[in-house]
Amino acid sequence: MPTDVVMPQMGESIAEGTIVRWLRKVGDEVNRDEPLFEISTDKVDAEIPSPAAGVLTQVKVKEGETVPINSVVAVIGVRDTAAAEEPAPNPLPPSANVASAARVASPQPVKNPPTGPAAVRSGGSAEGGRVRSSPLVRRLAREHGIEVSQVTGSGLAGRVTKKDILAYIEHGPITALPTPVTATTKSPKPAPTFDADHATVAVPMTVMRQKIAEHMVASRRTSAHVHSIFEVDFSRVQRLRQAHNTLYEQSGAKLTLMPFIAKVVIDALRAMPIVNASVDGDQIIYKRDINLGIAVALDGGLVVPVIKNADEKNLLGLSRAIADLASRARAKQLGPAEVQEGTFTITNPGGLGAVFGLPIINQPQVAILGVGSLEKRPVVVNDAIAIRPIAYLTLGFDHRLIDGVVADQFVGHIKRGLEQFEAPIE
Amino acid sequence: MPATTATRPSDELSRDQRLELFYFARLTRDIEERLALLYRQNKVVGGLYRSLGQEGESVASAYALAENDAVAALIRNLGSVIVQGIRPRAIFAQYMAKGTSPTHGRDLNLHFSHIPNGDDGPIVIGPISTLGDLVPVMAGVGLGARMRRRRLVAMTYIGDGGTSTGAFHEGMNFAAVQKLPLVVIAEDNKYAYSTPVSQQMAIPRIDQRAEAYGIPHEMVDGNDMLAVYDASKRAVDLARQGAGPSLIGVDTMRMRGHAEHDDMRYVSKPLLDAWEARDPITRYRAHLIETEVATETDLVEIEAMSRQYAEDEAGLAEADPGPDPATVADGVVAGGHFQPSVEIVRSPFRVKRGASRHTQPTVVHP
Amino acid sequence: MAKTTYLEAIRQGLAEEMASDDRVYAIGEDIGLYGGAFKVTEGLLNRFGAERVIDTPVSETAIIGAAIGSAYLGMRPVAELQFIDFVACCFNILTNFAAKSRYRWGAGVPLVVRGPCGGGVSGGPFHSANPEAHFLHTPGLKIVEPSTAYDAKGLIKAAIRDDDPVLFLEHKLLYRRVQDEVPEEDYVVPLGQAVVRRPGDDVTIVTFGAMTHTALDAANQLAERDVAIEVIDLRTLSPLDYETILQSVAKTNKVIVLHEAQRTGGIGAEIAAAIAERGFEHLDAPPVRLASLDTPVPYSPALEAAFRPSVEQIVAAVEHLVEY
Repeated sequence: MPTDVVMPQMGESIAEGTIVRWLRKVGDEVNRDEPLFEISTDKVDAEIPSPAAGVLTQVKVKEGETVPINSVVAVIGVRDTAAAEEPAPNPLPPSANVASAARVASPQPVKNPPTGPAAVRSGGSAEGGRVRSSPLVRRLAREHGIEVSQVTGSGLAGRVTKKDILAYIEHGPITALPTPVTATTKSPKPAPTFDADHATVAVPMTVMRQKIAEHMVASRRTSAHVHSIFEVDFSRVQRLRQAHNTLYEQSGAKLTLMPFIAKVVIDALRAMPIVNASVDGDQIIYKRDINLGIAVALDGGLVVPVIKNADEKNLLGLSRAIADLASRARAKQLGPAEVQEGTFTITNPGGLGAVFGLPIINQPQVAILGVGSLEKRPVVVNDAIAIRPIAYLTLGFDHRLIDGVVADQFVGHIKRGLEQFEAPIE
Repeated sequence: MPATTATRPSDELSRDQRLELFYFARLTRDIEERLALLYRQNKVVGGLYRSLGQEGESVASAYALAENDAVAALIRNLGSVIVQGIRPRAIFAQYMAKGTSPTHGRDLNLHFSHIPNGDDGPIVIGPISTLGDLVPVMAGVGLGARMRRRRLVAMTYIGDGGTSTGAFHEGMNFAAVQKLPLVVIAEDNKYAYSTPVSQQMAIPRIDQRAEAYGIPHEMVDGNDMLAVYDASKRAVDLARQGAGPSLIGVDTMRMRGHAEHDDMRYVSKPLLDAWEARDPITRYRAHLIETEVATETDLVEIEAMSRQYAEDEAGLAEADPGPDPATVADGVVAGGHFQPSVEIVRSPFRVKRGASRHTQPTVVHP
Repeated sequence: MAKTTYLEAIRQGLAEEMASDDRVYAIGEDIGLYGGAFKVTEGLLNRFGAERVIDTPVSETAIIGAAIGSAYLGMRPVAELQFIDFVACCFNILTNFAAKSRYRWGAGVPLVVRGPCGGGVSGGPFHSANPEAHFLHTPGLKIVEPSTAYDAKGLIKAAIRDDDPVLFLEHKLLYRRVQDEVPEEDYVVPLGQAVVRRPGDDVTIVTFGAMTHTALDAANQLAERDVAIEVIDLRTLSPLDYETILQSVAKTNKVIVLHEAQRTGGIGAEIAAAIAERGFEHLDAPPVRLASLDTPVPYSPALEAAFRPSVEQIVAAVEHLVEY
């Protein structure tokens, strides 16, 4: 039988060795323990004796080559049969045997695999989350063919406890559902209930909340946020609103401030395409379409419906689109496409009185306009103090792409547009 | 202990004993030479720690023990366990991690023990890799022996590096306070791994460590086998008489690296050459011929016998199977099936030594 | 039966074993004439003589080393560490020599290393340790810690008769505060067996040593509110009696693991992990660990009280679990 000659491990930490010199060549007869080759390792140089007597039939590693320890570097064949020999297959290094020998206590197999996700999922929950329970409760449910979601939880945050499911098993679902629950009644948002001994209570986030959290943090991480705030005199816009509101109402629309702002923003975007863009690696992606997002606050979150191709709409069209999207957003009737592909966003933190906000950019956009509350404020006009309807507009912009000067030009464009509003009203 | 008394204990050694000493030193070297070949053929699983140049002191010191005394070798004291009868095959099996080894592949080289019940053969205690700990443990063997009313002597070894440990100090001091039958052979072999003795201690001679414990000590030429035997025998006799522990400093040289992977580039060539000329086996061989204890032919015959025995034993061990992985978790605590054993053999000289006790050799080497 | 203290029970157990087996001997610092720092070995020198009650130099490694060596010669040493904190000084010889000896060579070391552990007595950072977690990770070494006088005697006798090294932790807070009726006739409490100190259906508390008493105090308070606590006293910390623990968890479905050693990497982590692995589908709440803070043991009574788990903390944890 041929004998493999391996690169020896000369020291516990040694992983490889270099063949310095072969002292015998293929075809040579070698005696056992006769020096066969010289090696050099990180720690030592050594002459390696042949492990067996025979003929050197194969040299697999050339002088100067470095190979891992336990690699087969040569084969010693039996005399006379050398020529016919096939190269020996590479044996597994000893470490592989050690690994396979290690006995790892395997976890107990699950005897009764769960019947499926439905068994532990809430049936009708709008949020679609798991019903809180425990491993014990889930096992008992499985064993009794109960869906955990059918059991009313009395534990912290509505968790189905052992007591709950045992009562359900004993008394059945009728007595277990003492409180009337109807599918059509929208259950009020559960307020966290605190007990005497705990200062905190854990309530899972809604999916929307989780997404907002994710997006906001990601945006902060992505963009170099800078904010620029301008004071805008809405005197002219207010006058136009009062003059034309009736007309608008007759055509089923409402002339709020927002269409005016949207209109001048669209104009500004058309004038300064860098703000209607995004960043992709080291490329600037300019957007042909102006898809204007308007942030709408909801219970427990917000959503940004998008007016696609907003630059194709006049003031009335914008007015209708904004009203429509806002009402459907509040009714949760927006389609997925209606909240996508925005290229710029307007948000309205002033609705509840904030003087101005510092909004976070809606990625992958590069700027967002925040509209502060519209208030009568004393301002200096021609060296005299006058009372004017004033709002602060904040542009949050991504300094990666937009410099302060550009941002200020952009907001300046909007300011002028609003203070000297010229677009046709009808 | 005066080193020059009128009569030396070695004067009492018979011709067979003198030849047996030579045989044990030769066999120690032949086993290690064979191990060096196996190591380079990748058959030794871990490191190889040679005692080249120090075989004489390990053999001659242990030769001062009685057959059923206790010895605890460090990795470089192969000679001491060979003297006490550990079969070479067991040593090879240990190095090659065979299932037949004294630890069934669980531990390496000289890390094994042989603790017969009662007074039924030599006691061999293995080391742990942190040096120094064998000193208190062997003090404990002496303590246990005294409590069990056995007049045995415990001998162990410590290198110059090992004498710097706290465990060494605690063990020496405890043995001294309790007057335990302990003999410690402290080897000044010039380097602890790569650290020279000058960085290990600020005293000129290693045996001066003993002065702190108030026990007898002396320094001997570690490459003069009879000098080592003389000092060891005096210390063993004192211990057996109940006079307490002794420390013998041996002046020697580690002629190879810490292990085979260490090329010892930190040792100067002239130093090695000087010690090469003082090789303990070469010197003892010349002495045997000079004193007409043996002829060249006698010694060549012993050398051939030793070499052949080492090779045969290596071959047997090489053919042995590895340990069964299914046994890996067995015997961590009492109640398992793990019952390793070591074969004890007699040398072909069959010389009885020291306080003679009944011995039951399990195997007699042909 | 007369009431016997925890300390006296250990002394009785040790003396009985020395009297019935001449291989048993005691070794340590100040254990002879002085009778030990806590007087556990008081009177043994007079009774058994200096050869079997050995006063040593201040050398923990020598104590354990000598004990190991003598054990190889057939002796059964009982080594005292003046405070169990000092086990750090002989960690190497205990874990590397004694504990590995049987696995390496088949040479068992029937050694008991005993010493006072635990806090609550203003011992400060070096006289209050609960070192079980350091040794739980040492295969070959057993660990015992009694909570009652009855167990203290039964366990020390079992430890001495055991063929492997045993770390015997004596909680110093209990030495003279705990008294039981302790039989005079020979008995042992087998190693590796936990005991249910108080049965209950609502929450299991797994604990040992002095904390057993703290847990029982909490259980009494909670009983007034109709919360039934089951208290398990482990008694042996290695090997752990998982059967008793898991049986209880299967009944109560809620569990607190309570110990006095620091929390992180403590024995509670191991027990909680095992419960999660092996008793997952019995759990109606996550396993809770209650332990000391992750600091050295402080000296001032006020600081130490803030450091160690209290009855109030246990009650609060139980209430949380009940509502969970």
